[in-house]
Amino acid sequence: MYDLINHLWLGMSVAAQPSYVLMCLVGALVGTLIGVLPGIGSLATIAMLLPITFGLPPVGALIMLAGIYYGAQYGGSTTSILVNIPGESSSVVTCLDGHEMAKNGRAGPALAIAAIGSFFAGCVATVLVAALGAPLTSVALMFGPAEYFSLMVLGLIFAVVLAKGSVIKALAIVLMGLLLSMIGSDLETGAERMTWGIPEMSDGIGFVVVGMGVFGFGEILRNLENTGTREIVQGKITGLMPTLPDLKAAAGAIGRGTLLGSALGILPGGGTIIASFAAYTLEKRLSKHPERFGRGTIEGVAAPESANNAASQTAFIPLLTLGIPPNPVMALMVGAMTIHGIVPGPQVMTKQPELFWGMIASMWIGNLMLIIINLPLVGVWVRLLRVPYRHLFPMIVVFCSIGIYSVNNAPFDVSMTAIFGIIGYWMSKHDFEPAPMILGYVLGPLMEENLRRAMLIARGDATVFFTRPISAVLLGISAVLLILAVLPSIRGKRDEVFVGDD
Amino acid sequence: MSDATPSGEWSRSAEERRRYNLISGLVFTVLGGILLISSFMLQSPVPLIVQASIIVFVAVCIAISFGLLPVLNPQDVFGSLGLILLGLTAFIASNELPGMRGFAFGPGTAPRLFAIAMIALSLIVLVGGFLTAGPEVTKYQVRGMFFIIGAILAFAASIRPLGLVIASFATIVICAAAADDVKWRETLVVAVVITAFCSILFPYGLNLPFQLWPRFW
Repeated sequence: MYDLINHLWLGMSVAAQPSYVLMCLVGALVGTLIGVLPGIGSLATIAMLLPITFGLPPVGALIMLAGIYYGAQYGGSTTSILVNIPGESSSVVTCLDGHEMAKNGRAGPALAIAAIGSFFAGCVATVLVAALGAPLTSVALMFGPAEYFSLMVLGLIFAVVLAKGSVIKALAIVLMGLLLSMIGSDLETGAERMTWGIPEMSDGIGFVVVGMGVFGFGEILRNLENTGTREIVQGKITGLMPTLPDLKAAAGAIGRGTLLGSALGILPGGGTIIASFAAYTLEKRLSKHPERFGRGTIEGVAAPESANNAASQTAFIPLLTLGIPPNPVMALMVGAMTIHGIVPGPQVMTKQPELFWGMIASMWIGNLMLIIINLPLVGVWVRLLRVPYRHLFPMIVVFCSIGIYSVNNAPFDVSMTAIFGIIGYWMSKHDFEPAPMILGYVLGPLMEENLRRAMLIARGDATVFFTRPISAVLLGISAVLLILAVLPSIRGKRDEVFVGDD
Repeated sequence: MSDATPSGEWSRSAEERRRYNLISGLVFTVLGGILLISSFMLQSPVPLIVQASIIVFVAVCIAISFGLLPVLNPQDVFGSLGLILLGLTAFIASNELPGMRGFAFGPGTAPRLFAIAMIALSLIVLVGGFLTAGPEVTKYQVRGMFFIIGAILAFAASIRPLGLVIASFATIVICAAAADDVKWRETLVVAVVITAFCSILFPYGLNLPFQLWPRFW
């Protein structure tokens, strides 16, 4: 307990420095600015905004990224409530009741309760991350290459199981990500792999290029298809603050959503989506008036929003302690960390405590920022939403192009991103989820390294993954998950989760 | 956002379906053919099984083009063809790389391992696509693709020689043509404003080394 307070204090003393607070604020602001744009999820937002953090010192860059992340999440909720276009799958549920509330003229309270719920969830999750960080790190130290490999397999399997649609297609797309990550120099021998002799590719394809291509440009191409109806809530938004009965009604939902979200967020593979769906379903089950859900009830906004935010925060736990990103957003974070020369994992906490705890403290500050900036700025976001899409996407394209170019000052990267934009569009046409691919892409080098090392230590004996107990358990869980996902009865339920209750 | 695209409202007639299968199948045939030819031009010989696989791939594509194989689930069939082609390409690309050395992985081991696994899974999807019906591939937004990709490539080509101001202005204007409801007068205003914004934000605000004007200035 004493340690915990000590650590949080250390973190606060780092994160509360004015320059870092400013970076967090700027991050949250631009994150919301981009995240609020319809059809642009937090993944695309982070991919687009990554380059602006490259010029900063590592701690500042990560704090800013955390700010961008929360801003993007909150921006997505704002769009869901006001326009009924979820920026990403985790805010689909917020649409159900949030937009109904907005139509009933209660957009203000809906937005406010989303912010308050997220803030509360953020506070709890921050403490949880700090408390679980240290013990989990010691677990991580017991892991050898075989265990790491199996853990990554588990993470990828989670992502596959939680992806929409066919499990086999999701598995194939994970392998595509792994395969693409092999392009570039081999870590051990330095041999150029699959570069076709192009010198720009000898370093591999930057993950920013892949991420921004598949998610950023791919998303713009997809969005061009449905330029049709967008019903933005008209009229002025008045009465921003929720009333006392509102708060009372939402309090329980926020608490339960936070607990559920925190627990689900730690699990690898897309925790936020499941968290918001599960929290919504739980509230509906517990409610005395389940018929009110979907018609604009405040619990229906509070629960998924808190769960979503709690989950997106506890998702940092596996990343910071084990070095394994549990979802694609965290995968982008790994990429950002590696660019700053930080290898995420247990050693970050011991070797760079100010970075580790500073980042955790900045999560809390980021959440506070959101409350402070978003409530007064709602009017600005509404006006932004009224800008026609035909003007928005050229801006996004030019910002992204400049952003990618600025990473390496390489026009080649920009052209590569265009190609990945087409690939992303092609993937969505054939019902391939891009998220498992990016997870595979980021985990690829780590996985290969640990696989090779484990095989080398075991003198080429592949059974090592099953004879070492921790590794065997992890692989066992993966196998069970995969079997469950393929079984038809579970599949039906799983699809139900994604369809929601509409 | 994929669930927001109307897949049910828009469907192809039998004639259009045939044409789509013909064109897509031929595209994959040509790509597979290029791969096959390049497999003969490598310095070290490509294993016969890989070349045989490419030939089978091309044959399947030709069969699809001319309606000899039932494309019941176009998304799965053409999607898995794409992944199989990628996997075969990985085999050709990693052909020169040494594989296992004793019990140690060589640089080529992992790529081939993952490629085989991906091809195997894609084959399951492919066969499934011949057996059970599924959704069609919705129409590509060709105009959008052409102008957006064109705009990005134009940026890549012009940023070095022409500088940030001209590159971003051109990118915005080209990109705007992607929308069906483009309004040129508004677009020019937006382009001027955003170009000015970028020219201040990136070089000065974020301190990134950008050249604003063409080199000869």
